[in-house]
Amino acid sequence: MSKVLCFAGGDDFYSGGSIYPSPKEASLFLSLGNHVDVYFPPRKRSRISAPFVFSEDLFEQKRQDTIEALPDECLFEIFRRLPGGQERSACACVSKRWLMLLSNICPNELSCDKSQNNLAPTNVGEEVISEDDGFLSRSLEGKKATDIRLAAIAVGTADRGGLGKLSIRGSKLSRVTNLGLGAIAHGCPSLRSLSLWHLPFVGDEGLLEVANGCHQLEKLDLCQCPKITDKFLVAVAKNCPNLIDISIESCSGIGNEGLVALGQFCQNLKSISIKNCPSVGDQGIVGLISRAGGALTKVKLQALNVTDVSIAVIGHYAAAVTDLSLTSLHNVTERGFWVMGNGHGLQRLRSLIVAACRGATDLGLESLGKGCPNLKQLYISSSAFLSDGGLVSLIKSARSLESLQLEECHRITLSGLFGLVIDCGDKLKSLALTNCWGFKEFDFSAPQLSSCKSLHSLSVRNCPGFVDACLVALGKICPHLQQVELSGLAGITDDGLLQLLECCEAGLVKVNLSGCINLTDQVVSAMAKLHSRTLEALILDGCTKIGDLGLLAIAENCQLLSDLDVSKCAISDSGLTALASSSQLNLQVLSVSGCSLVSDNCLPALKKVGHTLLGLNLQHCTAISSRSVDLLLEELWRCDILA
Amino acid sequence: MASSRKITLRSSDGESFEVEEAVAVESQTIKHMIEDDCADNAIPLPNVTSKILAKVIEYCKKHVDASKAEDRVNDEDLKAWDAAFIKVDQVDQATLFDLILAANYLNIKSLLDLTCQTVADMIKGNLFPVRNEWLNFTFSIANRELVLVCLTEWVAHRRLFCS
Repeated sequence: MSKVLCFAGGDDFYSGGSIYPSPKEASLFLSLGNHVDVYFPPRKRSRISAPFVFSEDLFEQKRQDTIEALPDECLFEIFRRLPGGQERSACACVSKRWLMLLSNICPNELSCDKSQNNLAPTNVGEEVISEDDGFLSRSLEGKKATDIRLAAIAVGTADRGGLGKLSIRGSKLSRVTNLGLGAIAHGCPSLRSLSLWHLPFVGDEGLLEVANGCHQLEKLDLCQCPKITDKFLVAVAKNCPNLIDISIESCSGIGNEGLVALGQFCQNLKSISIKNCPSVGDQGIVGLISRAGGALTKVKLQALNVTDVSIAVIGHYAAAVTDLSLTSLHNVTERGFWVMGNGHGLQRLRSLIVAACRGATDLGLESLGKGCPNLKQLYISSSAFLSDGGLVSLIKSARSLESLQLEECHRITLSGLFGLVIDCGDKLKSLALTNCWGFKEFDFSAPQLSSCKSLHSLSVRNCPGFVDACLVALGKICPHLQQVELSGLAGITDDGLLQLLECCEAGLVKVNLSGCINLTDQVVSAMAKLHSRTLEALILDGCTKIGDLGLLAIAENCQLLSDLDVSKCAISDSGLTALASSSQLNLQVLSVSGCSLVSDNCLPALKKVGHTLLGLNLQHCTAISSRSVDLLLEELWRCDILA
Repeated sequence: MASSRKITLRSSDGESFEVEEAVAVESQTIKHMIEDDCADNAIPLPNVTSKILAKVIEYCKKHVDASKAEDRVNDEDLKAWDAAFIKVDQVDQATLFDLILAANYLNIKSLLDLTCQTVADMIKGNLFPVRNEWLNFTFSIANRELVLVCLTEWVAHRRLFCS
């Protein structure tokens, strides 16, 4: 450091002594303030004919003599010869101008001599990373998403392993522009995953540089970036052969041309997801799938102006697809689904989601069932046309189906439901019905000889009309139920549930009865006794009539229970005390949120239970003081407490 | 070669320098001017002072002589000469920068390489006293954020590798 002081031949340079011992003491950068006094003595050597004007202000003259006076291109030439990443990072800290200049240096413009670097002794405690593997990952959100930050990331990660993953979540005020992305493009050739959300100022200019600079790109995720157009996609397709995963949402500038290019050049593409891009149509999807469809395993199309043609092409060309999701495709009709199913190309399809598609009629879905012999999971939502008959023929044609979820299929009635369960063969394991309002009166007198031994999981949520009789009938048909979810069903009472509990020979493992407001302690006690050896999770969120007696029964009987949720129930301290006094109960997750009768008196009980707890929810417990919560936080250090 | 043409170069402060054409065309800028027939009289160089122009000419002359000597001057000798040439100016930063500016304006690649590499090495070797200067006058509120941002990278790096 003394060399710094004697450059002019004299030692009487700085009055303050060395301001920082080395550039690595970065903390000292911050401690410098405007109060630091810098003393510049006049130069000892006189200048002959200075090109710069001597001015009154010595400070100003000094400034002109210094490196700051060099134009950008000269500074650039100096920077690109800087021998190491540390020096580059230190220079990047000087000013925005220097940072932006440094961030514009492409890796192939760096002309430092690598062999010299290896001979230089490395500092203690630091490693020299010779390869840019790109294992660093950065994420910027909201206010912090700025060009300066991106430039700093580009310079800072360059020789420290390289940036592998970058995610930028902008906002309306986002200040990320093409400049910032250009910096990333120059500085991070190892970038593998790029995710850009909500960036209104970022357009092709910056992204084209990314496409040209980051050849290792594997994953691309764009959402709400209206200025990005097909040019970028074409460039990415041509320059990034490793592209595996593309997700584009709400980008109005992206259309068919980009997708066709992806299909043409990206033969490794495995997963595509295109949502809500008004310019994307049949041409793009067909171009993509017919060329690159061979390797695709996941396809997700939502809210696009595609017609039957695209769907048909998927059915014929996407031979490797395992997960397919079609949502809100309003121009696809029954014919499209029929052709897709009859194409017999979807041999490997395992999971299918069809939501809000008017082509999801009985005929369409049945052909899909026939055409996908390996279909295991099916989720149908908002189908106005699926009827009871259709449901039954669907289940008969989809012979491998293990999981069926129906949501908002209002034409389905109880007759269809029971037809489904009886005819489902022996593969269906899980059935879920949500928001289906078609369940009304049903004649349960028909003899039901068959049973569905394979159904393990039943979930009925918010289906008004699902009453005790339904539950009992289902219980008799499905003796091997292990997971039951009945939520938001006011029509379920103790009687019905009790009969179900008695039918379940296999022993219930998970029971979720949220929002079934007519259930009482009686049924909880029965459940605890009947399924004491198997019950692991019990959710009684919102069952306002359940109280301490239920907890007592649980405490006495349940051996395996690890997850208990009694939020908004009528439980009080004595119930918790009973829970704590159980010798066999080892709860891992407990929620008593919204229970106003639980007070500070239950603190010892909570502490005892808390020894095994990993999660405890005490939100909205008005009678528990914050002091108690603090005590719990101290003692139950292993437990994640919400209060 | 036969006697080559002499070219006159005029510095910003009016001094004229007469050099052989082979030396003058080390500068791409001057070379283009000659080709475009602007070199009838003296070539004015308003951005270069006589002091700097003298040094530039000295450099170009040495390099031209080195490449056409019968016994080719050893590359190492030339490098040593370069080092000595620039070392004189290490003491006087202003001349170094003026040389960079001149090499940039006159488009003399080898001189630009030499001068810029020198500055880069000086930044690395902490020989650059200018650092304190720019750290002070450019250190404003805006840069505090900047430094914090660059620091984050640094801190992340240290956390990763310094236990």
